[in-house]
Amino acid sequence: MIWMRLVTAAFAAFVALPLAWLAYAAFIPAEALVRANLATFGLSLDNFRALAGTGLARSMGVSFLATGLVVAAQLAFGLGAAYAIRNGLRLLALVMVLLALPSELLLVPLFRLLQGLALIDTLGALVVPFLASPLVVFLLLQALRRVPWEVVEAARLDGAGEVLIVARVIAPILRPELTATAVLAFAAHWNLVLYPRIMTTEPLWTVQAFLTELLRARPFEWGLLGAAALVASLPLLVLYVVFEKRIIETFEAGFRT
Amino acid sequence: MAERASLRRPPTTQPRLRDRVTARRAAFALALPAAAAFVAFSVVPLATVVRYATWRWSGTTEPVPVGAANLLRLVQDDALWQSLATTLTFAAIALPVFLTLSVVIALAIEGLRWERAIKALLFAPGLVTVGGSAIAWYLLYNPDFGVVPELTGLALPWTSQPWAALLYVVLFTLWQQTGYGVLVASASLRGIPREVKEAARVDGAREDQVRRYVVLPMLRPTLLFLTVIGTVFSLQSYTAVYLLTRGGPFGTTRVLGYFLYETAFERYELGYGAAITLFALVFTLLLAGLQARLLARRGAAEASA
Repeated sequence: MIWMRLVTAAFAAFVALPLAWLAYAAFIPAEALVRANLATFGLSLDNFRALAGTGLARSMGVSFLATGLVVAAQLAFGLGAAYAIRNGLRLLALVMVLLALPSELLLVPLFRLLQGLALIDTLGALVVPFLASPLVVFLLLQALRRVPWEVVEAARLDGAGEVLIVARVIAPILRPELTATAVLAFAAHWNLVLYPRIMTTEPLWTVQAFLTELLRARPFEWGLLGAAALVASLPLLVLYVVFEKRIIETFEAGFRT
Repeated sequence: MAERASLRRPPTTQPRLRDRVTARRAAFALALPAAAAFVAFSVVPLATVVRYATWRWSGTTEPVPVGAANLLRLVQDDALWQSLATTLTFAAIALPVFLTLSVVIALAIEGLRWERAIKALLFAPGLVTVGGSAIAWYLLYNPDFGVVPELTGLALPWTSQPWAALLYVVLFTLWQQTGYGVLVASASLRGIPREVKEAARVDGAREDQVRRYVVLPMLRPTLLFLTVIGTVFSLQSYTAVYLLTRGGPFGTTRVLGYFLYETAFERYELGYGAAITLFALVFTLLLAGLQARLLARRGAAEASA
C-alpha cells in the first residue's frame, strides 16, 4: 500500500535528519557561523581541537569506567538469574514489575540509601544500584528459552556443577545474545542523565552531565557543541554499527508476543 | 566403595530425578546476586518512601518528622494536578501515534529489501548518546536560530508557546522510541503463520482485506503490549523534558516525573519529593492494574469466542 510506504519514508527522514546533523555539525567551520550563513558549507577540524580543555575526556573516562563495571555485573548476575528462572524459580513476576517501573520513582529513596552507605559523590553511586537490570534478565531469559535443554541435562549427567554449566555450556551458546544485551545495557547506563547529576558532582560527572552543562554554558558555540555531541556518541555508534544485526535480532526475539 | 555402590544401583529414573531436584536447587542459588540487588536497590527503597514522605528534609540536614503534612499539602497543590494533566495529555498524543507508526511501518517494510536498513535506522536514536541528541535537536529546531527555521521558514515555537513545547517533547520521544515499537510489531508479524494468510488469499481476499481482517486481529496482543510499553515511555518522559525544555515555558511541560525531580533536587524538598513519589507510585500501580485487567478481559473474550 502506497500510503504506508509514504508514512515510512517520511518517518525515516524525520529520524535520519538529527542523526545526519549530529555527524555534520561537528565539522562546521567557524566562518560559516560568524557570517550566519549556512550556505558556506565546509568541513573543519577546529571544533575538535577546541574540545581539548573542556573536560569531555575526563567525563567520558568516568562514564566508561562506571558503565563498564555495570554491564559486566548485569550480564553475570542477569545470566545467573535467567538460568534460575528457566529452572523453575519464581522470580519473573518481580522482574516484570521492575521492568515496568518508571525510573524517577527511585531518585529520592536511592538518594537516602546512598547517603546512608556513604556512597554519594563516589563512583559507587554510579555502579552499586545498577548491579542487576530487569531488562537484561528478561532478554537473557527469552534467549535461554530457545536453548534445547538436553545440553544442560547432558552436562549434569557428566557431573558438571551448575556454575560450570552456566559458564561453560550456556554462555558460549548465548554469545550473540549476550553481546547484544551488553550493548543495550551499555546504552541504558551510558544514557542516564538526571541520576548522575543528582548523585555526583563535577570531578565525577558522566558524559551526559558534561553535555547538558556544556549546552547550558555555551549555547551559541555550535561547532563545539556538535563536536562534543559526536565524540560522546562515537562509542555507542561504533558498538551499534558493529553489532546492529545481533542487537535487532535479540530485541525482536525477546519481545515476540 | 563409591564405585561398588554405583555398580549395585539399578538404572532406574529415581536417582536421576533426585539429582535433577538438587541441580535445580543449585541453579536457584545463581539468582541470589541479582535478587539481592533488586531487593536492596528497588524493593526496599520503594517501601521506605512511605516513611520519607512524612519528613521535612532538604537532603543535607537531618530530617524532621511532620506526619501527614506533606501528603495534605500535595493533594491541595495545583502544580501536582497540572503535572498530572500534562502527563496524561502527553500520553494521549504520543501513545496513538506510537502505536499507529509501529504497526504501519512494520507492515510497510515486511519482506522489503530495505527492511533491515530501515529497522537499523529507526532503532538508532534510542542508542545514540541522549545528551548529544538533545544538542542536535536544539541546533536544528531552535525557533530563533535553528537550521530548519533558517532554511525553510517553518518554526515550531517551542520556546514560547506551551502547546508547541509539549508537541516538541512528544516528537523527540517518538523520534527516540518508535524504533522499539516497530521491532516489536515486526517480530510478531513474523510470528503469524504463512498458511493463515494463504488461506484467506485462496478464499479470494484482496491484500488489504488480508491485512485488515487477518493480520490486524492477530496483532491485538502486540498492540496491548505496545500500549504497556508506551505508557512506561510516557511516564519516563521527564528526562526528555529536562533536556529540551526544563519544564517550561511557564511550567507547561512539567510532567509528573519532572515535577518530582524539580521539587526534590532543585528546590531541595526531598520529603515533599518522597510524597510525590508515593503519589506517582500509586498512580502507576493503578494504571498497571487497569491494563492488566484489560489484558485479562480481552484474553477471556478471545478464549470464549
